[in-house]
Amino acid sequence: MAQQPLEGSQAIAQAVALCRPQVVAAYPITPQTHIVENLAKLIADGKLACELVSVESEFSAASVVLGAAAAGSRAYTATSSQGLLLMTEVLFNIAGLRVPLVLTCANRTVGAPVSLGNDHQDSMAVRDAGWVQLYCADNQEAIDTTIHAFRIAERCELPVMVCVDGFTLTHTLEPLEVPAQQQVDNFVGPYAFARTLKPTDPITLGTVLSHEFYPEVRHAHHRALLDAQEEIVAADREWHALTGRSTGGLLSIEGPPDAQTAILTIGSILGTLADAQAEYRDQAPAKLIKLRAFRPFPVDALKQACEGLRELVVVERAVSLGSGGIIAAEVRAALSEMSSPPRVHSYAIGLGGRDVPMNAYPKLVAAAQSESPPRFAIFDLQPAKLPAEDR
Amino acid sequence: MTLEQPTKSCSELRRAQPVFRGLEAGHRACQGCGQALAARLVTEAIGPDVLIANATGCLEVFTTAWPQSAWRVPWLHSVFANTAAVASGMEAALKAQKRNTKVVAFGGDGGTFDIGLQALSGMLERNHNVLYVCFDNEAYMNTGVQRSSSTPHAAETTTSPPGRERAGKRHLKKDLVTIIAAHRIPYAATATVAYPSDLRKKVRRGLQVEGAAFIVVHSPCPLGWGHENALGIEVARLAVQTGLYPMIELERGELVGAMPIREVHPVTDYLRLQDRFKHLFADDPRAREELEHLQELANHNIEVYGLRAQKPDRFDSEGADTVRRGGMRTA
Amino acid sequence: MATLTRGAFAKPGTSLQFKTGDWRLQRPVYLHRNAPCHVACPAGEDPQAYLARLAEGNSQAAWETLVAANPLPAITGRVCHHPCESSCNRGDYDEPLAIHGIERTLGDEAILHGWNYPVRPLSSDALRVAVVGAGPAGLSAAYHLTRLGYRVSLFEAESEAGGLLASAIPAYRLPRSVLGDEIARLLSVGMTFMPRTRLGRDFTLDDLRADHRAIFIGVGNQRGRQWSVDGVVPRDSRPGLDILKEWLSIGSLPAYKSVAIVGGGNTAVDLARVLKFSGIPEVHIISYRAVPGPGVAAEDVMRATAREVRQAIEEGVIIHEHRGVRRLIIRGERVAGVEMVHTKKLTRSAGRRETVEFEGTETILHVEQVIPAVGQEVDPAGLEMLLAGHPFLHPDSWGRLEGFEGIFAGGDVREGAATVSDAIGDGRRAALAIDSYLRNSALPASQRPVVRLNDLNVNYFEPQPRTKIELLPVGERNAEREIEQALPLSHAGIESHRCFSCGECMSCDNCWTLCPDNAVLKTLEETAAGDHYVFDYDYCKGCALCAHECPSGYILMEPEP
Repeated sequence: MAQQPLEGSQAIAQAVALCRPQVVAAYPITPQTHIVENLAKLIADGKLACELVSVESEFSAASVVLGAAAAGSRAYTATSSQGLLLMTEVLFNIAGLRVPLVLTCANRTVGAPVSLGNDHQDSMAVRDAGWVQLYCADNQEAIDTTIHAFRIAERCELPVMVCVDGFTLTHTLEPLEVPAQQQVDNFVGPYAFARTLKPTDPITLGTVLSHEFYPEVRHAHHRALLDAQEEIVAADREWHALTGRSTGGLLSIEGPPDAQTAILTIGSILGTLADAQAEYRDQAPAKLIKLRAFRPFPVDALKQACEGLRELVVVERAVSLGSGGIIAAEVRAALSEMSSPPRVHSYAIGLGGRDVPMNAYPKLVAAAQSESPPRFAIFDLQPAKLPAEDR
Repeated sequence: MTLEQPTKSCSELRRAQPVFRGLEAGHRACQGCGQALAARLVTEAIGPDVLIANATGCLEVFTTAWPQSAWRVPWLHSVFANTAAVASGMEAALKAQKRNTKVVAFGGDGGTFDIGLQALSGMLERNHNVLYVCFDNEAYMNTGVQRSSSTPHAAETTTSPPGRERAGKRHLKKDLVTIIAAHRIPYAATATVAYPSDLRKKVRRGLQVEGAAFIVVHSPCPLGWGHENALGIEVARLAVQTGLYPMIELERGELVGAMPIREVHPVTDYLRLQDRFKHLFADDPRAREELEHLQELANHNIEVYGLRAQKPDRFDSEGADTVRRGGMRTA
Repeated sequence: MATLTRGAFAKPGTSLQFKTGDWRLQRPVYLHRNAPCHVACPAGEDPQAYLARLAEGNSQAAWETLVAANPLPAITGRVCHHPCESSCNRGDYDEPLAIHGIERTLGDEAILHGWNYPVRPLSSDALRVAVVGAGPAGLSAAYHLTRLGYRVSLFEAESEAGGLLASAIPAYRLPRSVLGDEIARLLSVGMTFMPRTRLGRDFTLDDLRADHRAIFIGVGNQRGRQWSVDGVVPRDSRPGLDILKEWLSIGSLPAYKSVAIVGGGNTAVDLARVLKFSGIPEVHIISYRAVPGPGVAAEDVMRATAREVRQAIEEGVIIHEHRGVRRLIIRGERVAGVEMVHTKKLTRSAGRRETVEFEGTETILHVEQVIPAVGQEVDPAGLEMLLAGHPFLHPDSWGRLEGFEGIFAGGDVREGAATVSDAIGDGRRAALAIDSYLRNSALPASQRPVVRLNDLNVNYFEPQPRTKIELLPVGERNAEREIEQALPLSHAGIESHRCFSCGECMSCDNCWTLCPDNAVLKTLEETAAGDHYVFDYDYCKGCALCAHECPSGYILMEPEP
């Protein structure tokens, strides 16, 4: 299949269009805007038959797609940052109703202070909303994951959030493969939601549930997310068979198999770190563990990936303020089940869009060897910029 | 004296009622609930071919205690503020699927005048083919009677209690219909449970127009307003007959109809039946002033909407609820 | 136990599993209560019931409902003083219904179309009952007894049935043709009519007892009461009723230039009008009671029908109310006038009401003749044993005479009976009592409670003026032409829709429409209560909204058992 140069947002829009959503609702926020603009153009040009609902807030965007999905239409929305947080209440609600939806989060930090810069503070903040969260390392993955997302959502009756780094991916032009319509049609299939609202079977969605059943409903939802791991892996496997491309399923590992140090990260800095891994192959040999599925959190796959490791550096792009690394905390908990787990080093990096240079890689590998690693640190912190009392 | 039942059992009769009832018995509304009545009347006028989006509130809670539901129409509750947006999405989906099923949104005054107003405004601006029905019981009843922007001036609620420094709610009832009208949607109206025929007529009109329609239905709350369970209709009727709750219809923002008041009652006829205005009948100059204030608000409505009937007709405040032998009131 | 559904969705209408009827502290019941018009009707009619049939557009059913109580609506629809209208709840709202006019219209329709009375043929072993007197009481008793399955022999002293209807009511109030038609139809329902057969002359009560299982006495009060002023009786003075009867039978009337009639009943007023129509310039009525009008206490009003009094005044009859005759002024042998005095009925010691004359208020009225119309009494011939020296019989409210098993009485033979409708009611109740006596069964149970205006919810009604009943202009009136004009059937129909349906379901759907809990169900079948609604007590929460909003006071709240 021929590659064509596409901006990330344009590519995502095309991938969405290939999945034939009938309703798209969105509210403009940087850096999500190009995705929706591109969809609007596809609709305007008659290339996509779809109702575009230009709502008055992200809160309504999420609500519109919820209503549309419940009424029997495949639906899609995209947002970023503050917009995602404005959706929060509805995100929980969508998931609790077990309504299949796909949302692209063009990741951006969350104010204050205001910044357009990319990090994962937004999507990490809604990690407990009950959604599947898949993170993309590059724009080809963004295309493929978007297509997977519809299939996973509809098969698992769970909403799926596809996290794509703002600017780094959304605004970057690169040669990409866009699958054929027929391929996508076969892969995704027509939209079918078992609890579609219709006068011929007038069910009630969104009931009041007492404590007599509340733990059970939470269990069922949790269980559904855990079970979604199989669907995520299966989608990737099947997609690989169709296109020859893999997005890595729950997670993937690159680098020397015998390395005892690994860097685990998520999102687009994987591109930088992968390049650096090649560059510093001899100087700082380490594995790269690319985490794609953060929800469900792939405990078993992770344990397997960490087998034989002595040092694991978790590099992430968000902070649980007052606690530390978010992914790292979960990784630590997961690996504690191992008989000889690696040491886990927790760093945040590139917050608010700060560039992550190639030379971060050897520094991270080196930090992994330190005698007493900090429980958590911002790796690229420049303390001199802080007033003395805040250092 | 208990009467003999006819040969058919109640459950058989229930299945054989002459109109479709979208809201079934067994819901848990309080005795004499005006909102339950309003919702029943509205869903009856709509019929079965509808999708309903319902905001958080009493109506949502008392109809859907899992595993039971009182609804016989497809129905979705999402959250408090997003009802108009959920309905917008339903409508967009049906449009995309080329289905003609109607979409109706239900909200209370809290979900409409306050927290859901932005989503509602968006829905109206985009002119979705949705009928939004607000059941206005003039406070947050579901959470225990807190004031909303729809609570009338001087009314007592748990967050606008009268006391040495205050005579109930300090602010005026939000003039929502004017806000709605400013969207210049095809149809907007006020209605009340006290005039069911008028209500049904307005619901049908709201469904008939292409585009967004809005109806606010005055729905008495015996608990929150402090009136006897049996007096809901009486109270609602007086709200109209005093001029405090004008019955109006607007098309494209222009006033096209108002229910004339044949016999204008003093506002005290309405206020006296409700404990939420009890403090206004104290021997106190401020109470007297607030009573006068409410009377002037009614007078203002009567003047602005031209509510005083010129001559009796069958659609005025006395004629609109006239019953006929043999039933099935007009409209 | 329920199994969780995905996303906790619920199936439609499953709330029916939740029986909110448990919450109820009081329950609504549909309860037919009495309309005040029904309670007020001396004949026992239920106007609310026949107005409902008429409003439904079925005038024959309306008439059948009417004649289930009163077989003579074309007559009472003309001569009754219609207490139904005085008690009509609508009277306190705008104007009472024109029940009287509608009754007449229905009666006339029945005559016009030859509708049959709802009477079944008698069985061959029907028991025999005698009715003595074919006036309103006797006719009513005979009719109801026939309806109840008895073989009735109806004895009448005169050559025609009708009693005082025929002998004392002028044609301008009751055209002869109407009277004749109505009575002829009634006599043909299956009774044996025996005219010119007078009790005490042609047969005795003992004769009747021999071949009848029960006897009803309805002979009326045919004899004018003795009248004098301090023992003075004017020369040529005759009781007013006799003059009226003579005029009705042979058409002759005395000629005076001026005359005073003493008394305030229908006889006085009828006679006054007849005399006025005959051309007597000055006709006075002297009554110690008041002319009917607003604010006049019921017990102080002249006995005559109010509208007749009104019409008499229109026609020029002069009424001296609250006046008594103190002295006759005789010049030679002729009357030259009367001395009148102001009177009032006052409550005296021991609660007795007495007519008091006020000294110093005497006035003189110059008239050529004074005619007493002060009431009649029973002709005792053949009734000596029953009267035992009293001027009237004193049966109980069911017509039973204490000490005379199997003998019943009613109408003017009873002390206190005053009107045609009273007599018809007496006849009906006595027929029921005879039936109960002969079958040894219980009398009909006591009355239902009465619905008053504040039991109704008049918000659901519209003010609507009462349909006007036309009168002949005064200048065109005479003793023969009927003065009150008929209410056309179409107008009667419109008028019937004004009825509040007090105490009875009018199928307006209000309870069904306004129940917040969907606990009122409609049924095509009629329920035992006779309506088309059922409370579903599984769900009714007892809010009482339906009862409060029932327009006609048909729903009552009762404590939950």
